[in-house]
Amino acid sequence: MSGEALDRLMKMRDDPYAAARAWKERTGGKVMGYFCCYAPEEMIHAAGALPVRITGENRDISKSGAHLQNYCCSLARTGLDMALDGTLSFLDGTVFVHTCDTMQRLSDIWRLNAGFAVHADLVLPVRFETSSAWDYMTSELASFAEGLEKELGPMEDSALVESIKLFNRNRALLAKLYQMRLASPGILPYDQALWCSTSSALMDKAEHTALLEEIITDLQAGTATTDGSGVPLFGIGSVMDQWDFLAMVAESGATFIDDDFCNGRRYFDFEVPEDVPPVEGIARRLWGRSSCPCKHVPSRDRGACLADRATAAGAKGAIFFQFKFCEPHAFDYPHVKKALDKAGIPSLNLEFEQGSVSIGQLRTRVGALVETIKA
Amino acid sequence: MSAEDIRKPPKIAATEQMKQLITNYYIEAKTTKEKPICWITSGGPVEFLIAMGVIPVYPENHGAMCGASKIAVGLAEVAESMGFSQDLCSYARLDIGGAATQNGAIPGGLPKPDFLLCCNNICGTVTKWYEELSRFWDVPMFLFDTPFIHKSKPGHATEYVKQQCLELIEFLQKQTGKKWSDDRFAEVAMLSVEGVDLWKEVLKTAESRPSPFTCFDAFIHMAPIVTLRGTQEVVDYYKLLRDEMQERVANGVGAVADEKYRLIWDNIPIWYEMRNLGNLFAGNHACLVADTYTTAWAVDIKIEDPLTSMADAYTKVYLNISIDLMLDQLLALIERYSADGLVMHSNRSCKPYSLGQYDLARAVTERTGKPALIIEADMTDSRAFSEAQTRERVDAFIESL
Repeated sequence: MSGEALDRLMKMRDDPYAAARAWKERTGGKVMGYFCCYAPEEMIHAAGALPVRITGENRDISKSGAHLQNYCCSLARTGLDMALDGTLSFLDGTVFVHTCDTMQRLSDIWRLNAGFAVHADLVLPVRFETSSAWDYMTSELASFAEGLEKELGPMEDSALVESIKLFNRNRALLAKLYQMRLASPGILPYDQALWCSTSSALMDKAEHTALLEEIITDLQAGTATTDGSGVPLFGIGSVMDQWDFLAMVAESGATFIDDDFCNGRRYFDFEVPEDVPPVEGIARRLWGRSSCPCKHVPSRDRGACLADRATAAGAKGAIFFQFKFCEPHAFDYPHVKKALDKAGIPSLNLEFEQGSVSIGQLRTRVGALVETIKA
Repeated sequence: MSAEDIRKPPKIAATEQMKQLITNYYIEAKTTKEKPICWITSGGPVEFLIAMGVIPVYPENHGAMCGASKIAVGLAEVAESMGFSQDLCSYARLDIGGAATQNGAIPGGLPKPDFLLCCNNICGTVTKWYEELSRFWDVPMFLFDTPFIHKSKPGHATEYVKQQCLELIEFLQKQTGKKWSDDRFAEVAMLSVEGVDLWKEVLKTAESRPSPFTCFDAFIHMAPIVTLRGTQEVVDYYKLLRDEMQERVANGVGAVADEKYRLIWDNIPIWYEMRNLGNLFAGNHACLVADTYTTAWAVDIKIEDPLTSMADAYTKVYLNISIDLMLDQLLALIERYSADGLVMHSNRSCKPYSLGQYDLARAVTERTGKPALIIEADMTDSRAFSEAQTRERVDAFIESL
C-alpha cells in the first residue's frame, strides 16, 4: 500500500456502509440505496441525498428465504436479507432500475416488505438505438426526476449541473487510475483498484474524489509495490465483490489488468456530456456507455467488444465471474467465450453465490488457467 | 386413493379438430415455399404477422410439446453442452438445442425463421434467447419493448409502444417486400377480437359447478388462441369448443367426477407431468377450474383504434405488472370461479412468474382465508421435479381444504 488516502479507503472495505451511516449522522441528509448502476446517481445527489449502491454481501440467508426462491441470484437474496434484518436501516429509500426479471420482481417484494419511506422505479427501455426508445428514455428520466423531487426536495438545474461535473471528475480520476495500472500493473494490486471504483458508490462523492486525487498523486510519486509480472487477465461479470478470490488470483501468479464488472470499469466508463441540458446528458451517458447484457443494442456485438477490449488491454486470459442464476450474463457467455477464443484469449467460467464461495476449489481452476497461458 | 377409483373424465370431442388445426398449421409452416416464417414469443403481437401473410412459429408452443412428449431434457442437454447454463429457462435451452440438431416434437424440428419478433412483455429472458437465435440463424430480430408496469402506466410508455407498432410495420414491409394494408389489419384485428371473445366465453363456462373442463384441458386448447388468433379458423374452432362446453354445463356434465373442491392454478403447466397431476387432483375430486396462464391471452383490442388499444393491451399482460396488481387479478379469479384454494407452480425456468409467489400465496390466504399450495418444479425440465414429494404435498393440501 502506498499512502494515507489509500489506507483510509481500504479500511472501509471491512464495513462498506460505515461511510454512509456516518454521512447520515453528520449531515442529517437522506440516503438512497440502489442496485443497478444505470441508476442516475447525479439526480439523487442533486436532490441533496446520498446515493449508495447495494450489492448484497457474503452471508447466510435468514429472512429473505420467505420471499425469494433459492433459484434466485444471491445478489437479490442477500440484498433483501440485509433490508429485512436491519443491516440497511440507515436507508431512507431505494431506487430500482428495470434491469432483469429478478430486479423487476425484487422491486415489488422490497416495496411491500422492506418498509423504507421512499421507493422509486425507473423503467428504462430495453431496446436502445431507436428514436422512439430515446424519446421514451428522456421522458422516463424526466418523470423519475420529478418523482424524486417530491420525495427528497427540489432538484435545481444548476445543482444537477454541478453534480454532473463532480461525478464526471470522479469518473475521470477512476479512468486515470485504471489507465495507470494498464501501463504499470505493479503500482497497485487489482483488488485495491477495484475497491477504489466500488467505494465511489458507497460514500460522499466529493470526499471520495478528494481521496482519489491524493491516491493518484501518491501513486505517481511512489514506486511499484508488486513486481507486476503476473499473467494479465480480463474480468467479466456484473458485481465483483469477492476480495478473497481476488487475493487468491494474485497468489496464483495472475492479475486483472482491466474488467467489465459493473462496479469496475462499467461504473465509471463514459462521462455525462456537459454541453447539453443535464437530463439529456444523463440519458446520453446511459445510452452510450458499454452495455450491460440486459440492454438490447443491435449495432454492438458484446462478444466482439469485450474481445477487443481484452486484446487492447494486453490480457492473456479472461475469467467470467458470474452470479449463479443470473440469466442475462449466462445467456451471453457462450457467444462472448467464442469471441475470446477467436481472439486467442483462453477463458474460465466461474459461477458463484455470495456466502458460499469455495476459494480452494476455485484456486485449482484458476491455477490451471494460469498454467495454460504460461505454457 | 388408488388409480382404480379415478373415473376417467369425459373426452372433449373438439380435441380432434384442434389437433387437425395445429397439424395443418405446422404442415404449412414446414412446407411453405412462398410465405415467410417469423419466430415469435408467446406474448407477441401476432396480428401484425397474420396481416402481412407471415406464418408465425412459436418456440414456446413447441417447447410445451417437447415437454409433454418428454423429449425436452435431451434437447436441453444439447444446449448445455454448447455452454448454456442448466439454470437458464428450459424453453430457451431446448429450443437452442433443437435448432442446433434440427430436432424436436415436429419431425426435423421447427422450420427455419426468416426473421424474429420478440416481445418482452412476458420476461427479459426472451430478449436474450432471441438474441442468440438471431446469431444462430443469422436473421434480423425486432424487439417489441413493453415497459414494465409497477403502479400505473405513464403516457410516454403507451406512446413508446405505439411508435413501435409503426416501426414493426416498417420492419415487416422491409422483410417481406409487401405493402402494409390498414384494411387487412382491421380485418385481422376484428377476427382476433372475435377469437379472444370466444376464448373468454369458453373460460367462463368453468364458472359453473361442476366445471365442464379443467385448466389442464385449457392448457391444451389454448394453442390456437396463442398461435393463430386473427384467423377465421380460430374463430370457427372456438365456436365449436364453446358450444360443447355450454352443452356440458346445460347437462350438468363435470370434468371431474363428484367435483368437491375448486382450485386456481398459477404459472405455466408442468408439461411432462400434466396427466399425472390431472389424475391426482381429479382422484381427490378437486377441479382446477381456472388459471392465470390461459387468461393471459384474453386481451382487449378496440377496433376504433387498434394500434393504441393493442399497445395498451400488450403492455398490461399479467406478467408485465407488479405483484400487487397481480394479486388483484388473482383475488378476482378466486371470487369469479368460487375457488376454494390456490395451487402455485414455482417454476425454476420462469422468474417473472415465480418470484413473488411466496408473497402472493400469503396475501391470498390473508385476504380470503383460503389455502395456497406451492409446488417446486420446472415447466419442461423433469430433472427439477420430485413426483413423490409433490404427491404427498397435494394430498396434504386437499386434506386441509
